[in-house]
Amino acid sequence: MLGFASVLLGKTLRSSTLKLAFIYVIVFSSAIFAVLGYVYWATVTFVSENLDRSISAEGALLIKTYDSAGHIGLTTLINRRVADPFFDEWAYLLTDPSFNPVAGNLKSWPATLRGDQGWGKFRPLDGQSKSSKQRLFRASYQVLADDAHLLVGRGLDGLDRFGQKITIGLAWAAGLFLLLAAAAGISTSRRSVARIEAINATSREIIETGLRERIPVRGTGDEWDGLAENLNSMLDRIEDLVESNRQVSNNVAHDLRTPLTRMRGRLERAYNRRLDLSQYHALIGEIITELDEVLRTFSSLLRITQIEIRHRTAGFRNLDLTEIAREVLELFEPAAEENGVMLELSTRGRVDVVGDRDLLFDAISNLIDNAITHGGRRGRVIVAVSQGGDRAVLCVADRGPGIPIDERKHVLRRFYRLESSRNSPGNGLGLSLVAAVANLHGAHIEMKDNSPGLRIELQFPIPEKAVSGFPHHEAGGHVGTMPNRASCR
Amino acid sequence: MAGNARHVLVIEDDTETGEQLLDWLRTSGYAVDLAVDGEEGLRRGLAGDYVVMTVDRMVPRIDGLEVIRRLREEGVATPALILSALGEVDDRVRGLRAGGDDYLVKPFASQEMVARVDALARRSGTVIRETMLRVGDLEIDLLARIARRRGQNIDLLPREFKLVTYLARNAGQVVSRSMLLQEIWDLHFDPTTNIIDVYVGRIRRKIDNGQDYPLIHTIRGVGFCLRASG
Repeated sequence: MLGFASVLLGKTLRSSTLKLAFIYVIVFSSAIFAVLGYVYWATVTFVSENLDRSISAEGALLIKTYDSAGHIGLTTLINRRVADPFFDEWAYLLTDPSFNPVAGNLKSWPATLRGDQGWGKFRPLDGQSKSSKQRLFRASYQVLADDAHLLVGRGLDGLDRFGQKITIGLAWAAGLFLLLAAAAGISTSRRSVARIEAINATSREIIETGLRERIPVRGTGDEWDGLAENLNSMLDRIEDLVESNRQVSNNVAHDLRTPLTRMRGRLERAYNRRLDLSQYHALIGEIITELDEVLRTFSSLLRITQIEIRHRTAGFRNLDLTEIAREVLELFEPAAEENGVMLELSTRGRVDVVGDRDLLFDAISNLIDNAITHGGRRGRVIVAVSQGGDRAVLCVADRGPGIPIDERKHVLRRFYRLESSRNSPGNGLGLSLVAAVANLHGAHIEMKDNSPGLRIELQFPIPEKAVSGFPHHEAGGHVGTMPNRASCR
Repeated sequence: MAGNARHVLVIEDDTETGEQLLDWLRTSGYAVDLAVDGEEGLRRGLAGDYVVMTVDRMVPRIDGLEVIRRLREEGVATPALILSALGEVDDRVRGLRAGGDDYLVKPFASQEMVARVDALARRSGTVIRETMLRVGDLEIDLLARIARRRGQNIDLLPREFKLVTYLARNAGQVVSRSMLLQEIWDLHFDPTTNIIDVYVGRIRRKIDNGQDYPLIHTIRGVGFCLRASG
């Protein structure tokens, strides 16, 4: 299980979904960082502008006091400010023209602030108050009318801390985001990888053990389930085909091996025994007959395959289905008579189809042959040719035992024979040939219950010209698409 | 060119099959030349005076169908029986057959093959416009479309009449089931059931029942033969 998990992880890391997820994360996080960076910059700018404004305002107030109350008034105000705990953050310094401190909480004029007036930052060398030690200040300074120097500053701690907080917050947010994105990416790709791996595992299983396995469907109804279902139905179809192929091979082996074994037995007996010339002659005659039977089965099989792979239009022409049915019936009339079967044709005239006369004749022959052979003695076989709507229908109905519903789809397979008819003559290829011919002609085969008996219908598509409504029909007098129905009952 | 009445050219590359064909045809009274490839076949076909040729579909050097095509181009009209293992799928053979020649799918029975050569040999002879065919005491009046035996009219359906006429024209010679299917029904496949036998059976009853001797004989494994003596 652990091994499987690590294999799965390996696959996850190699998976294309994960790569996609990472690209997504990179693009998305760049955008996030850009936004957060802007927020940081905007906030810090806003805060430092506010600071400068408050320093300017305080400076202006001091100048105003100086203007109105003179040097003494200013000194008094500065001293008051320094003593006021509310102005703890602030730095004040008033010096004489040679920078000797007169009032304020700074011990000396900061070296970084040069010139008569301006803005700057400084760190007090040794703070008068402990709180101001090491702190960075932002300050504005100027020269008063009596050449005294005035400095007003404010600690940058607040802004620093603020910036720090924002930076930490942003870092956390970014880290968390990356973590979540990676987790989401891995879990999504892991999910895909797991589904793909399930399909792969099933494929390997099929390669190794056969077509029994199916891809698990989770019932989520997503595209993975859709894919699994499609692959499964494809596998079903393949299994069906393989199965019917296998059955055909088995049947070929059986149907050919049986007569060959019989022949071998006969030859062996003849070899071991002393027979006279006439007996040898008779034996060889029998074996030739049996061999012919085997060759015929082979030919039938090849013929069906050839029909199946033939191109539709090769040798096709306009034909009258009724005429072909009539000819087949005439050919089978003596056989029906011999079997005591009444063979009837029910038709109302010409019915057009496009097709191959040889093949249609052969297919109809097989249907009628089946009906006569399996339709029961003293039965009645009705062949009806009709035209209704967009279809030409040829129907052969007998009064025999019929075909059980669940057997109907099998009887078109090669060599398939009903239990009930296993001992009667035939090679089980007749209906396969009918099916191949029908398929080549785009016709649909339908088997119905004739209660009693079987009613098998070949439904042909009608050629364009006949549907459009020319009066093709003879005696019946029907014109165009009017139903030209002949009863098959 | 009417052709030497009993001279047949066999173009076949397989030695054993060739020997068999030679044997069968010689037994039936033909003089046979064997060509083992298409080139030799073409040379002999152009030089000789044959009544029929049998051509294997696939022979070395020149393809069998190509040999026939070139002979036709040179004005040699000798009817050809094409022997093919490809069967119906071979559409080119189908096309050729439509042009008047015949083909046989391997494997085949000796009698079937000889019957077809016979049929082609007769065709290449002069066609006699008869109005009356006689085989033993059977008379077929082709104009009135009536068949009689010992002066007694036999009631035949149109297709049955056509079949009996065909048998009578080939009296004494074997006619295979697929030849009948081809001549009488214009169908070009080998019947897989005994339906032709049953059909001919009814004609036999109409013609032979209550007569002194049978005329229609079944040739086992191949087909039928109409002849007056056993």
